[in-house]
Amino acid sequence: MPSLTIKDELTIYTAADQKSNLLMFLTAGDDLEINLANVTEIDTAGLQLLILIKREAAHLGKSLRFVMHSKAVLDVLELANLTGTFGDQVVLTQN
Amino acid sequence: MTELATIEEKLPAAQSKQTALAGQYLTFTLGGELYALGILSSKEIIDYGNLTEVPMMPVFVRGVINLRGSVVPVVDLLARFGKGSTPIAKRTGIVIVETTSETDDGGSQDLGIIVDAVNEVVEIGQQDIEPPPSFGVGIRPDFINGMAKRNGRFVILLNVSKVLSVDEMAALSKVRQDRHALPDTNNA
Amino acid sequence: MSFDDQMRDALKTFVIESLELLQDMEDGLLGLEEDQEPSERINAIFRAAHTIKGSAGLFGLDHIVAFTHVVESVLDTLRDGKLSVSPELVAILLPCCDHMIELIQAVADGEVNTKPAMTTAERQLLDGLESFLKPEPKQAMTAAQTTGEQFEASGGGVIDSGNWHLFIQFGENCLRDGMDPLSFIRYLATLGEIMSLTTFSHAMPDAESMDPESSYLGFEIVLKSDADKAAIESVFDFVREGSYIHILPLEDKIPYYVELINSLGEDNAQLGELLLKSGVITQRELQEGLNAQQAQVPQPNTRLGEILVDQQVVQQPLVNAALEKQQQIKDNKARENQTIRVDAERLDKLIDVIGELVISGAGVNLRALQTSDSALLEATSEMMRLVEEVRDGALQLRMVAIGATFSRFQRVVRDVGKELGKDISLVITGGDTEVDKSVVEKIGDPLMHLVRNAMDHGIESAEVRAARGKSSRGELRLNAYHESGSIAIEVSDDGGGLDRDRILAKAIEKGLVQPDAKLSDQEIYSLIFEPGFSTASQISNLSGRGVGMDVVKRNVTDLRGDIEVESRPGQGSTIRIRLPLTLAIIDGFLVGVGKSSYVIPLDRVVECLELSGDLNDRDYMDLRGEVLPFIRLRDLFNISGDQPRRPNVVVVHAAGVKTGLVVDRLIGEFQTVIKPLGKLFGHVEGLGGSTILGSGEVALILDVPVLVSTFEHKLQGNMHLAQA
Repeated sequence: MPSLTIKDELTIYTAADQKSNLLMFLTAGDDLEINLANVTEIDTAGLQLLILIKREAAHLGKSLRFVMHSKAVLDVLELANLTGTFGDQVVLTQN
Repeated sequence: MTELATIEEKLPAAQSKQTALAGQYLTFTLGGELYALGILSSKEIIDYGNLTEVPMMPVFVRGVINLRGSVVPVVDLLARFGKGSTPIAKRTGIVIVETTSETDDGGSQDLGIIVDAVNEVVEIGQQDIEPPPSFGVGIRPDFINGMAKRNGRFVILLNVSKVLSVDEMAALSKVRQDRHALPDTNNA
Repeated sequence: MSFDDQMRDALKTFVIESLELLQDMEDGLLGLEEDQEPSERINAIFRAAHTIKGSAGLFGLDHIVAFTHVVESVLDTLRDGKLSVSPELVAILLPCCDHMIELIQAVADGEVNTKPAMTTAERQLLDGLESFLKPEPKQAMTAAQTTGEQFEASGGGVIDSGNWHLFIQFGENCLRDGMDPLSFIRYLATLGEIMSLTTFSHAMPDAESMDPESSYLGFEIVLKSDADKAAIESVFDFVREGSYIHILPLEDKIPYYVELINSLGEDNAQLGELLLKSGVITQRELQEGLNAQQAQVPQPNTRLGEILVDQQVVQQPLVNAALEKQQQIKDNKARENQTIRVDAERLDKLIDVIGELVISGAGVNLRALQTSDSALLEATSEMMRLVEEVRDGALQLRMVAIGATFSRFQRVVRDVGKELGKDISLVITGGDTEVDKSVVEKIGDPLMHLVRNAMDHGIESAEVRAARGKSSRGELRLNAYHESGSIAIEVSDDGGGLDRDRILAKAIEKGLVQPDAKLSDQEIYSLIFEPGFSTASQISNLSGRGVGMDVVKRNVTDLRGDIEVESRPGQGSTIRIRLPLTLAIIDGFLVGVGKSSYVIPLDRVVECLELSGDLNDRDYMDLRGEVLPFIRLRDLFNISGDQPRRPNVVVVHAAGVKTGLVVDRLIGEFQTVIKPLGKLFGHVEGLGGSTILGSGEVALILDVPVLVSTFEHKLQGNMHLAQA
């Protein structure tokens, strides 16, 4: 199963690069997994990318899961009340 | 007339006649006598006429007239003095007098008095005024403030507040009313 | 006018208005317990107290301010729902009203500069009030909680819902400008608690065209916060540019804001200001709305309310509430403008002069009739019509509804009921029936007596009522209606009715009627109005005031009215007073006797007929089978001259009995101004005043009931003497 680990922060500063990176990853297969463990920082731009990639995957009929959410990601998802919407299993990591 | 006697007794003693009586007076004749009213209490003189009789009133209340929209009682002084009623003649007039009630809080009422003829307005000095005699004039002494000598004739200075005391006249009317309620007193 | 005079006038107005407000307050309090939706009423009571306090402050009447302040505080607590309506509360507030009336009366009596020491009574009232101000422990907790919760608690709604509803669509460039929308949301969360949040991403285009550096997200947030709208709005100050930020009161809070708008003072009549003041919009939103309105071309035609709703800064119901409030304020303003307080004396003077105008107009008309100038006649009759219109208009000015007089009895019934230990309710109908002010002023005392009497003697004790199968709560009714040019006022009770036999026995005992007299029920009931008659077998506290029904009757007849009683055994009785609508004008029927003219009040006249010749010396005639006794005015008034060959009879009614008045001539109907006859004629019984005819002559007005009863007494007196 193709998996992508985002190594960098997901912020406005990396958003443009991350967008192409993520969209590229969508073509890697039908059952995809993105590891968020190393996302130490995320802002609205990052959140938008997560939403975008989820939407695109659904649009293309592919399965895409976020795994290993970092604390920063969890906080933002909580705040935006999207944890349930994304429907991914959330495991609290000791980060 | 026992009622009248009672009322007379209740009246206060005639006031001091030494008070300043000097001043301007309106003189008029009535039943051959010459009378005078203080000019300040005399408001106007009108011709006699258009009088409406009010039933069940003593004879000295001749009735009421319309004085420019106000209903004013007219008193026959001669009858008030007990000398019969005044016959109406060509020169008969009505002097409108302002009286103040003694018991009410200073409320004033206009009354008309019937006179045979109005004579003139005269100045009467203190030296011309004598205290009223206690009898002989044929009028209750408390009705008279004094007697003034003028052109060889006596002028009777009337005490308006006594002669035209609305309270006393109303009381007398009431007496008459009550008597009226009894038989055979209709023309008393 | 000097400053002192102005102050005196202003103070007079203060006294009058305060007394009126206190009357309103008392009326409000009396109905408070029964009111299912008392908030309106409580507001009105509060406003009355508030206004009095404010005005008293203007005059430096500190003792009134101090006392009223405590009353106001209690009312405020009541208004906030922290205190509920209870009989105890009403029982303390009513005497407070009384006390305030006393304080204000004292001011009216000239005690402006003296600061009366606090009386024991006042101390007691204040203590009583303060006990309502000390909240119970449970209430204290409620009070300490946030306003949001208070509202829920009183509304009984869901506890965990916020009070603001936010819709935020951040500007597309805000990320690029270095602002992170999520951080604003985090900051918002510090103002209160975010109860719910939904993120919307539908503004985000497809992957191709999505610019990762643009902001696309929108949020819908329910926030529970004590902060006002402006404070919440300020959170978004830095991102406002290009963003859509709408902060609305939560839907279920709309009633709260509607109420808030309704309770606003009346000095801000602009829609925007109302919304702003109630906190549902902010200054900025208002300004934007106004700008949008101004920006419309060719000219502003959309209403501000619509714009604000369009811009989603406020919901429609709130705009509606504000618009309603605005209308209400306008109406109040309009009413203020339409009402002018007029010195009663000036009004009387005007009516006097108009009365004279009528008389002199009639004089002109009479002269005109003597000429045969048809143009002149036409002009004078037109003038007379106008003059009469002016007079009717002037008399209308004096007309007031009797309701205010009636509602004063709410208090009387309450207090007297307590005193008597009877549970009695007062039902008022026909309160909007209008009658001349002078009549209203004079009817209070007779009504008071009738009401007390009905409560004391009419309505039975609860036990007796229960035994008779009636509701234990007695009912007293005050009713008024217009009836052929007069006002009828009824005092009814659902008590035991009049005791026919006891009245008769008493009347015989007192020598009012012969033991063998044959009397109808109606005649027996009417005996209670005879002087010296008292029906109570035991004199109670209330009836021991030395006023009898005879005094009531005399008061009523003094007002040219009459009084009658109806009674149904076991079901109650009704006392009906009929009074003329005005005391200044009378519809009269002019008759002539000898040279004099007399006016008979038209409402007393039943019919007129010719006196048939063969009466000899009888003083009664046959009126279609009825015996009609008559009074010859010529004899009664001792008028000289001969009776004409064919005299006329005017059939009049008084106290339900018909009597004929024999007169020489019938002249006709006319409406006339009553001139009092004055003190000199005060003792003349049977004359109700005088009037001036068109000819300038004075005509006397007959007081029919007194005339008839005086005549009867006189006859009886004669008979007694004849027997003696």
